[in-house]
Amino acid sequence: MKSFFIGTDLREKIGGAFVILALLAVIGGLVYHQVLKHRMFQEQSESNRIRIQPVIPKRGLVYDRNLQVIADNRLSFTVSLVPFERVKDVTLPRLSVLLEMDEDDIEKRAKANFISRYIPSPIKRGLGIDIISILEEQGQSYPGITYSAESVRRYADSLSAATFIGHIGEVSPEEIKSGGERDYRLGSLVGKQGIEKTYDRLLRGIEGTEFIEVSARGQIVGPYEGKEKTPAVPGNDLILTIDRDLQRFIVSQFDSLDYSGAVVAMDPRTGDILGLASFPDFDANIFSGVIAPEIWEQIVSDSNHPLLNRPLTGLYPPGSTAKLITAGAALELGLVTEEYLLKPCFGGMQFGNRFFKCWERGGHGKLNMVHAIEQSCDVYFYQLGQMMGVDAWGEYARRCGFGKKTSIDLPGELAGIVPNSAYYDKLYGPHKWTPYLVLNLAIGQGEFTITPLQLAQFYCGLANEGKVYRPHLLKEIIHPDGSHEDVAPVLSFTLPFSKKTMTILTEALELVVQGERGTARGLRNKYYNISGKTGTAQNPHGEDHSWFAAFAPSDDPRIVVVALVENAGHGSEVAAPIAGRIMRYYLTQKDSMAASNPPIQDGGE
Amino acid sequence: MTLVYKHLDWRLILAALALSIIGVLLIYSAQFDAATDQSLNFYIKQLLWLLISLVIFMAAINLPLRMLDYLAYFFYGLTLVLLILVLFIGQAKYGAARWFSFGPVNLTPSDTAKLALLITLSRFLAYTKLPPHSKRRLFISGLLTLVPVILIMRQPDLGTSLVFVALLLSLWFWSGLSPVYLLLIISPLFSLMAAFHWITWVIYLIILIIVLMMVRPGLLFSFYTVIINLAFGMVTPFVWNRLADYQKLRILTFLDPGRDPRGTGYQIIQSKIAVGSGGLFGKGYLGGSQSQLKFLPERHTDFIFSVLGEEFGLLGTLIVVAIFAFIFYRGIKIAARCRSRFASNLAWGALTILFFQFFVNVGMTLGLTPVTGLPLPFLSYGGTSLVMSWILVGLMVMADYYWTEY
Repeated sequence: MKSFFIGTDLREKIGGAFVILALLAVIGGLVYHQVLKHRMFQEQSESNRIRIQPVIPKRGLVYDRNLQVIADNRLSFTVSLVPFERVKDVTLPRLSVLLEMDEDDIEKRAKANFISRYIPSPIKRGLGIDIISILEEQGQSYPGITYSAESVRRYADSLSAATFIGHIGEVSPEEIKSGGERDYRLGSLVGKQGIEKTYDRLLRGIEGTEFIEVSARGQIVGPYEGKEKTPAVPGNDLILTIDRDLQRFIVSQFDSLDYSGAVVAMDPRTGDILGLASFPDFDANIFSGVIAPEIWEQIVSDSNHPLLNRPLTGLYPPGSTAKLITAGAALELGLVTEEYLLKPCFGGMQFGNRFFKCWERGGHGKLNMVHAIEQSCDVYFYQLGQMMGVDAWGEYARRCGFGKKTSIDLPGELAGIVPNSAYYDKLYGPHKWTPYLVLNLAIGQGEFTITPLQLAQFYCGLANEGKVYRPHLLKEIIHPDGSHEDVAPVLSFTLPFSKKTMTILTEALELVVQGERGTARGLRNKYYNISGKTGTAQNPHGEDHSWFAAFAPSDDPRIVVVALVENAGHGSEVAAPIAGRIMRYYLTQKDSMAASNPPIQDGGE
Repeated sequence: MTLVYKHLDWRLILAALALSIIGVLLIYSAQFDAATDQSLNFYIKQLLWLLISLVIFMAAINLPLRMLDYLAYFFYGLTLVLLILVLFIGQAKYGAARWFSFGPVNLTPSDTAKLALLITLSRFLAYTKLPPHSKRRLFISGLLTLVPVILIMRQPDLGTSLVFVALLLSLWFWSGLSPVYLLLIISPLFSLMAAFHWITWVIYLIILIIVLMMVRPGLLFSFYTVIINLAFGMVTPFVWNRLADYQKLRILTFLDPGRDPRGTGYQIIQSKIAVGSGGLFGKGYLGGSQSQLKFLPERHTDFIFSVLGEEFGLLGTLIVVAIFAFIFYRGIKIAARCRSRFASNLAWGALTILFFQFFVNVGMTLGLTPVTGLPLPFLSYGGTSLVMSWILVGLMVMADYYWTEY
């Protein structure tokens, strides 16, 4: 066997040869750059500077269910500072004059958006072409200042779209930290609310990078040829379940009123949100540009809270609309049958040491379940509540979707409260509360609070044989390559009612409109039947809130509408007519109106 | 025993001094602002560090060489403790490079670890009775290297880890391991690269087996080599296909920094323009527009050579390369004539570290090697780097002075 030890002389020679080879490689590289390619590099060095510029991808468009545009982009400009090109005592004063900003503010913005010394930090967005043309002409006077075109979100008019679209804004440091591999840059625009937030990942695309040649005078010459750019990947377009025309109609219904309120319109067969509105509303576009302080001040200080997203975050007692929970629970528990008559209503009833009033002072007399719902007799439901007790009632309310979030694809939803004995123990102390509290719950009052969305979800279940689909706004994704991806409806839960119970409940809901003494008989029409329930929610702070929850047509429900009008009194008087008009628009007028008025063409990019 | 200064290798010391002074001048230029005719104070700091380096150098060459020999494992242990501590209580910047802060002075344990590993490996490889290709010898010295490498990779600092690996391979070679063995030992890495396509991999495996048959390094060694090569090669596509896109991108960026246009790619483009536009004679001192106009980031640290290239052209770069070449030449000569194997290893290892950093750094400014953040010895701004470089020269000077000692 050979020896694998090599002697000093040989090692010295091999080591020396290795070093010489490496040095030759270095010298070769030097000669290549400094002699052979000298001219090319000299040109680049003398007349050009190279700058890297992030390429912001096109944010995906948002369409309604009929492919009408809800959100698109318009062009605007952003001025940025390239930290290592700035010249002390020159850049900032001039920039301050150009942008009408304090030097301190500019410095703060530059620091906040700093990524690296050779990547532009955005200073001001939403600038017009006037300022950009100054930079374009006199770039050399503004060392270290660059600008980029950027698209700004534009939302369709009169949609009260802020409830579901939300808005976009600059990413916060916390969002960057929690973003993981999502590649947010400081200064990146991301969805802050609504669909823009929930589906930010789908909408925003992936940023690219390009090299830009800048002349010695600071003007942008064009892309740098020596280096390929990394293209941006545009975001996906989204098709929402929203019906833009219906949404506009809903908004128009409130515009003439001086009330606050909320409307949720859904397709019970899928959980599609057809319309979602909160009043008073504000224009989602105010968040796209720079918000004028006085407008912002006005919105924030408005006592009607226009920023509140009432369908998702407004918590109200449901009033009589929730009697269906009590009714269904009583039937399931076998406390009553369809024909069973309870003690008569004389405009109220004595329980313990307190007299509980019915809304109808004259009383309803002896009623069976169907007619009790038709006429919304409080006394009937007090008795049911007393029979089942707070925990049984709470269990059913929970299984009807109350007291927990619906998991709609929007951020910020609230769960509401479904009280039970544990809740009251905590509130008042163990056994320190009267069991008669359940009477209020049975008629949808008391500590029981819900969101309009939860109520719409419940009525979707009543309309759809008990099956409740998760309320959602995303219908389809259009990928950048043009392919569509459907988002299938998800079955969320099933109402805890047997088929027989369901039949009784829906029959009663139909009577509310069709019956001789129905509380919403004003909605009767010859084209289709409406099934629904009025509600009047007592409000300790003022006038009662007016509710109406309904679906139509009764035999084949295609739409569920929940309307809430704050401080408007009886459900039958304000909320029901609004809901009725919305349903009529959706079921009859929309098609004929669409035929006479061709859809408005919104611009794309 | 006092040093007879006449017998010191003054040419080597003067070469290092010349590079250090060139470094200070370049740092002055790199941070020079034509608008104000002033330079930031980096050059003053560097000058102070140069004085400190010279003091440490003078002190170091007065130490008896045996002391390093005796204390080798102690240094090694101490360094490991520091490396572990710095992971928990060190200061971090840019998410990497960790150090301890003592007022104005920062101590980077990965730098002291270079020194500790150099001394430790020199000692182990000098005194072990095991033959150069003994598996135990390779294993123990490999393990001595691997432990600090893993700790440094966790910081993470890939560049410094590579210095350690280069040091190990180089000392294996210097203590007698045949280069053929070395190639076989690192062959799984080639397998890894060849395996991105099955055809190249098959060709590579055939070549490997032919080499093994010609060299006959022993049945067991050959067997292991083939098995490990097969394993690496088969793992490559398997792992690669399971990586997330961003993970692939990170690896590709390491192999090709141009893929990271916002960071290293930008620096390389600007660096190449700087060096290339310098031409034969350069734009003159303080005349580099690339570096003056600040298009070249990190120009006073990692890319100081680009400033040299721009302002002094090929003439300047060749002079600096020549001075480095002289230092390497002296290093080889010293290592070769030392009678003490320990001193010989020390000199050779010091040479290796300087050479590796020189090659990777200069190659980086030309786009030949990946950007790893390794400074250019003597020239780059940075106190620790300068002191380290001078200590390495000190080790070479000592090894030369005591060359007759066993």
